[in-house]
Amino acid sequence: MERQIINKKKRVFSVEPNKIPPSEVFTRKYTRLLVPALKKLNMNKNSSQANQLTVKHEVDMALALSAQEFAWSRFLLQKLSSSNNPTTTTSSSSNGIRIQKRSGKEGGDEDGEIEEKLRELQKLLPGGEEMNVEEMLGEIGNYIKCLELQTIALKSIVEDTT
Amino acid sequence: MGGESNEGEMGLNHGDDQSGISRVGMPLYAKSDPFFSSADWDPAVSVGGFSSSHYPSMGMDNPGMSCFPHYHQPGSGSGYHDMPASLLPFGDCGGGGGGHFLGSDKKGESVGRLVIAGDGHQVSDDVVLGGSSNRKRRQPEAESQWNKQKAVEEFQEEPQSQKKQKNDQSKEKMNKESSQSEEAPKENYIHMRARRGQATNSHSLAERVRREKISERMRLLQELVPGCNKITGKAVMLDEIINYVQSLQQQVEFLSMKLSTVNPELNIDIDRILAKDLLQSRDRNTPTLGLNPFARFQGTIPNISTTTAPQYNSLPQTTLESELQSLYQMGFVSNPSTMSSFSPNNGPLKPEL
Repeated sequence: MERQIINKKKRVFSVEPNKIPPSEVFTRKYTRLLVPALKKLNMNKNSSQANQLTVKHEVDMALALSAQEFAWSRFLLQKLSSSNNPTTTTSSSSNGIRIQKRSGKEGGDEDGEIEEKLRELQKLLPGGEEMNVEEMLGEIGNYIKCLELQTIALKSIVEDTT
Repeated sequence: MGGESNEGEMGLNHGDDQSGISRVGMPLYAKSDPFFSSADWDPAVSVGGFSSSHYPSMGMDNPGMSCFPHYHQPGSGSGYHDMPASLLPFGDCGGGGGGHFLGSDKKGESVGRLVIAGDGHQVSDDVVLGGSSNRKRRQPEAESQWNKQKAVEEFQEEPQSQKKQKNDQSKEKMNKESSQSEEAPKENYIHMRARRGQATNSHSLAERVRREKISERMRLLQELVPGCNKITGKAVMLDEIINYVQSLQQQVEFLSMKLSTVNPELNIDIDRILAKDLLQSRDRNTPTLGLNPFARFQGTIPNISTTTAPQYNSLPQTTLESELQSLYQMGFVSNPSTMSSFSPNNGPLKPEL
């Protein structure tokens, strides 16, 4: 019923009917990819072990597919398709080196430190190591944005099912 | 859609201001990317792919397109006028052409040409000499200058200090300066200035362009990562970014784990999620993401609950509707009856908004 009302209002109220912010685009794409995939997943298997990995796989896949305009998504897709082990975007606890060792090295070493951090950042980004630094910095911006949207989408999915 | 088409067009966006200059390394979250519409970002900054033959005409053809309008323009229009004796060495008009052009061309002559381009003034070839030795010094200077974060100020300092810097190894700059003093201010031609005490070698200039690009992007990232507004300094900034990305990734991992445990529910209603999602994403994005594209929607958050602004009120719904419609047509979410086959519950899968 509400939907009918919405239908009626549809053409009247759009301020900018053709402009959907890309964050929305992404979120929609993402949710629409992920949810059916999850459903399919759930039909197919029962073991929880494989479940976790595959869910992560699907999550990453949905991320990559939803953000295909960015370079890192290509790399992500490559990783996903090449290996069936979804180890791609997670910075697992082993990787979780919070970089706080700056304090010891200042001054002359600063430059090398920054390079090192840039390298670290490159590792975080899928395909970051294959890019040059400027490109990587640009891609990191996109990646951060998409990760944020992804977390929001996942949260809402989780909330929805619990 | 605006976002995607912009991204597709980005390669051409500023193509017309450069005759035949290709923009290879264009950042994807440049100005035309609505994700990160930091309006100052000029996607024209790209290193690489400039053909040297186009360079001499670059100066003429570029009203205001450059990679440093944001450095320069606050003071540049006036800056150039005020500093007739300033160095206007390396036009970086329209995107890093200067430094890179130098890199691609022969050294001494290219610099001379660069300097000129605005008014045909020929600078001697000894402008760029011995640049390589200056390169190492440039780096710490570049770092400190990054911390200042105001290239304009430096440029303004330069001309006054130029005369005093005979001792400095940048003797090349002296030559340029003297020859440049007769130059008319180049408002159409953005120059890559060799900074005080820095090499004017083509390589170091190219490197400096690159570094400044990196700094520019880091600034943009600063806006993206929450809580980084007060941070100055590349190292700390990078730390923050790394931590943030790691935390985001861990969050995703955690959520997906959670999802794997609760998945059996399967009463997932996409539309409900999306409707919720839209509201929530705007809501959450207000504090965390200082992005302009959301500015428009931020005002809708309080309005959605009320009906005072009907146009905003239904805006998310209309877009949702149109999206859903297109989706249904595409058969992606085929139709509720099909979807019900997925769900063991055969629950109500009709979209209910």
